[in-house]
Amino acid sequence: MRAKLFFIHAILLSLLIFSLLPLTWMVGVSFKTAKEIFTGSVNPLPHRPTVENYALVMERSPLILYFLNTLKAASLVTGILFVVSIFAAYGFSFFRFMGRDFLFYLFLLSLFVPFHVRMIPNYLLVSELDWVNTPWGIAIPQAANALGVFLLRQGMKTIPRSLVEAALVDRAGHFEILFRVILPLLKPALAALCITFFVNAWNEYYWPLLVVSDKAKYTLPLFLRMYVSEEGGTAWGAMMAASTLVSLPLMVLYLFTQRFIIETYLKSGIKG
Amino acid sequence: MLRKYAFVFFILPAGFLLGVFAFGAVAHSVFLSTLDWNLISPEITRVGWKNYGEVFRSEEFRLSLWNTLLYSLLFVGAIFVAPYGSAFLVTRVARRWQGVYKSLLFFPSILSLAVLSVIFLWLYNPLVGPLDRVFTSLGLRRLFWLTDRRLVVVALTIVTALKLFGYNFIVSLAGFLSVPAQIEEAALLDRASGWDLFFWIYCPLTSANAVFVLATAVVVGAQYLFVPIHMLTGGGPNYASSNLIFLIYQYGFQFFQSGKAAAVAVLTLLFFSGFIVVQAFLVERRVYYES
Repeated sequence: MRAKLFFIHAILLSLLIFSLLPLTWMVGVSFKTAKEIFTGSVNPLPHRPTVENYALVMERSPLILYFLNTLKAASLVTGILFVVSIFAAYGFSFFRFMGRDFLFYLFLLSLFVPFHVRMIPNYLLVSELDWVNTPWGIAIPQAANALGVFLLRQGMKTIPRSLVEAALVDRAGHFEILFRVILPLLKPALAALCITFFVNAWNEYYWPLLVVSDKAKYTLPLFLRMYVSEEGGTAWGAMMAASTLVSLPLMVLYLFTQRFIIETYLKSGIKG
Repeated sequence: MLRKYAFVFFILPAGFLLGVFAFGAVAHSVFLSTLDWNLISPEITRVGWKNYGEVFRSEEFRLSLWNTLLYSLLFVGAIFVAPYGSAFLVTRVARRWQGVYKSLLFFPSILSLAVLSVIFLWLYNPLVGPLDRVFTSLGLRRLFWLTDRRLVVVALTIVTALKLFGYNFIVSLAGFLSVPAQIEEAALLDRASGWDLFFWIYCPLTSANAVFVLATAVVVGAQYLFVPIHMLTGGGPNYASSNLIFLIYQYGFQFFQSGKAAAVAVLTLLFFSGFIVVQAFLVERRVYYES
């Protein structure tokens, strides 16, 4: 039994090393001098740590600008999704109407249709609206996402209907019920949802690639791609420093909210 | 009367967004696939199904379709079997270790694929990359991960798998944890071994969850591949690493052939439609783990 448990831990630990080693390399190499990097050491830890790579990245690129662009777009996506998801989930949970379940199934179906299948029409529409290179252009098509509706409906299902019916008898309006009765009961789910929306929008690569051509409007993933193609695979230390900086906000967020984030996935099984 | 129809007000905002940007867009894609157009010019010709014929006959489509299948197979191993198996192993260890494994194995999943791609650009580098050091010091031959046409599929699968492993691990774990403890206790009384528990108790009881994870691995994996393909290989060498998703982008936004791009988009949707319907069907039927 002991031997078996040891064996299980050995497997899990090697998986852990395999999945964390690349990140260790990223952070490690970002603190190495160019000379040390080119000796090609396998050791991820720097021999003599230096911050010169970070200085180089910060000096050459308006990182703060990209950071703010990303923050703006991600907040916009999160804000819109938050509001429309709450409303729709309420509509699906506490009303009975013809075709409700079918409509909800359509919502679910949309979750799994690859984004790339709908991007050419989305692109045409966004450029028709003159939203290219704007936060709206980045955010609105990403806000067409039923993840929040699905998850919040799961949460609302656990709230007894009688609670809502009693409030209706008391002549409370739907808004009152939603904000005073329902939402306070769903606080953890709402927090988890916001974090998930935010992380996904922060990391979004594909859609900004299409709608942002103006370098001053780049988001962080686009910046990273530009940086890599400009440095042409030589300034490894600086590229790793840039990658570390791009990931830093999410790493900090994960440190404090990992319970919420993991919970979302435990419950939904849907990746953004 | 007003109250009875109040649901319209609540569902409309989300419904409008989905209607326009998801369902409308898919329908619009079907329409675009029957046009000969470059996305900008006022000159638009209706060509019927001609784009589909041209796409089918093209070398790049055949290669991308083949690669999509190949990637799917690799994903089944890397981000279905592996996370499913390790999620079961995690349920075998003490509770305090479970928490540690859970948060650390999930950690890479929150990072941007752009970041993961940059890291692997370094790891795969044939001159200074650490992988090369390891391989050559073991006396193996130097591997050109991103330029060897057979290896590149494996190389990009690994990058994508790192992003999806943690996520599929957590979803698999949710399935295992939802199995009531009494069932295992009863089986243990009957002297069931660990393998017996896995194959005769947990696998059947978590099958809905497993199928869901499998479908996710294939469909989401194909989409996530876009980032490493775009950042590391551009679909090359000679379409050896391209997949259907990347081909849509390439036709549409590099070659400006929106008709062909839309045709590939429609074919991609058909290719994955089985998985997509299964996912939507199972997502609610999976058993939930409430902590």
